[in-house]
Amino acid sequence: MLRPRVIACLDVQDGRVVKGTRFVELRDVGDPVELARRYEAEGADEIVFLDISASHEGRSTLLETVRRTAEVLFIPLTVGGGVRTEDDMNALLRAGADKVSVNSGAVRDPDVLTRGARLFGSQCVVASIDAKWSQEGPAGPGWYHHTHGGRTRTDLEAVAWAKECARRGAGEILLTSMDRDGVRTGYDLELTAAVADAVSVPVIASGGAGRAEHLRDGLTRGRADAVLLAGILHDGLTTVTELKEALAGWDIPVRLPDAAA
Amino acid sequence: MNPTRNGPQVALFDYGAGNLHSLAKGLEAGGARVTVTTDWFEALDAQALVLPGVGSFGAAVQALEGHETEVRDALLDGLPCLGICLGMQLFFPDSEEGEGSGIGLIQGRVRRLRARTVPQMGWNDVETGEDPLFRDLSHLTAYYANSFVCEPEEPETVVAHSQYEDQRFAAAVRRGRSWGVQFHPEKSSRAGLTLLRNFLAQVTP
Repeated sequence: MLRPRVIACLDVQDGRVVKGTRFVELRDVGDPVELARRYEAEGADEIVFLDISASHEGRSTLLETVRRTAEVLFIPLTVGGGVRTEDDMNALLRAGADKVSVNSGAVRDPDVLTRGARLFGSQCVVASIDAKWSQEGPAGPGWYHHTHGGRTRTDLEAVAWAKECARRGAGEILLTSMDRDGVRTGYDLELTAAVADAVSVPVIASGGAGRAEHLRDGLTRGRADAVLLAGILHDGLTTVTELKEALAGWDIPVRLPDAAA
Repeated sequence: MNPTRNGPQVALFDYGAGNLHSLAKGLEAGGARVTVTTDWFEALDAQALVLPGVGSFGAAVQALEGHETEVRDALLDGLPCLGICLGMQLFFPDSEEGEGSGIGLIQGRVRRLRARTVPQMGWNDVETGEDPLFRDLSHLTAYYANSFVCEPEEPETVVAHSQYEDQRFAAAVRRGRSWGVQFHPEKSSRAGLTLLRNFLAQVTP
């Protein structure tokens, strides 16, 4: 039986993990390699690094961070942020990422998903969708996909865009609700379920996790294959172990750290 | 005694795509001396060969082209080999994923998963048997990231099973001293490292 995944996400800037809400008010919370290892030990099923460095130096620092992480981490690592071409994907994969997530790059050039899937396999290609509700998008009221760390609204309706990304070769959708990100009131279940029902690739729910009930709801009512969390872990409010034990108590068949031994 | 200096010398074949760091480090943690190579001559000269599970079938068969028989003969001759995910699929004659041929060590087919959600992405239970590869791993949960599975003609080549949605599939196959695993031991945390150690224990029994 496939186990629903609990994924720890680290926003990385210039080689350090930062956290505010993802889109504003950043502060340093630690070393990415150290945090990734800690979350593996706590039973996290995967790690995601989202690089939010703007500078060229920041990007080379990222490759170095990925390299150092891959040498000590023995669970899957997804890396995203600033990926535009198959060469960018290759550089991250060669540095030690197992999957690469693409956001703005896929809007500019959707075929990059297809080329990436052909070269590296679709299981390596993650389409990252930052969705925010808007009353007045071109397709009417709905969730619209945003690029550039959430700063730019596109005309792409999020559910249709998710389908398009999967059709073009993405093997997974990382779906972030910008409305919920950092708010800790739970995932946007309506958005998550709409995307999960529309695509035949796995969907990761992101944005809004505040406590174990939110993870449970994301996996059940949201029909997500995986749930992603960040802030509540970095702040030391809870641990992956605690969250997974709570999920197991609700009969959600997560992989428990003991079973990994 | 430093195990990294005295352990078996393992060739990790590089098809030119994907992450090899974790697998190299995982093998080293098990005591192996690892050489990453794109040269089949060097690869078949090592004490053991590891075919990693990264990249697409197309990229891998390109790297294999012209060497299929040579690699198969080396494995039939007893060169210990571990094929991971795509590396396991290369044991078979061909794949639905793309053109080109594998080494044909095991007869059968590589077919797309028949499931609602593909790829299979995440941790799945592995029903392990008596094979020494699974020593101390009677309750194994391992990480998968695959769209294709192997369907060997001879059921006795299958040494472990997993179930995904309604499909039961070969989690691991074996012929002689060659093992193929559909999951990623190098991504399966401590249990995965145990499996890599078990493989290395078979290299110099």
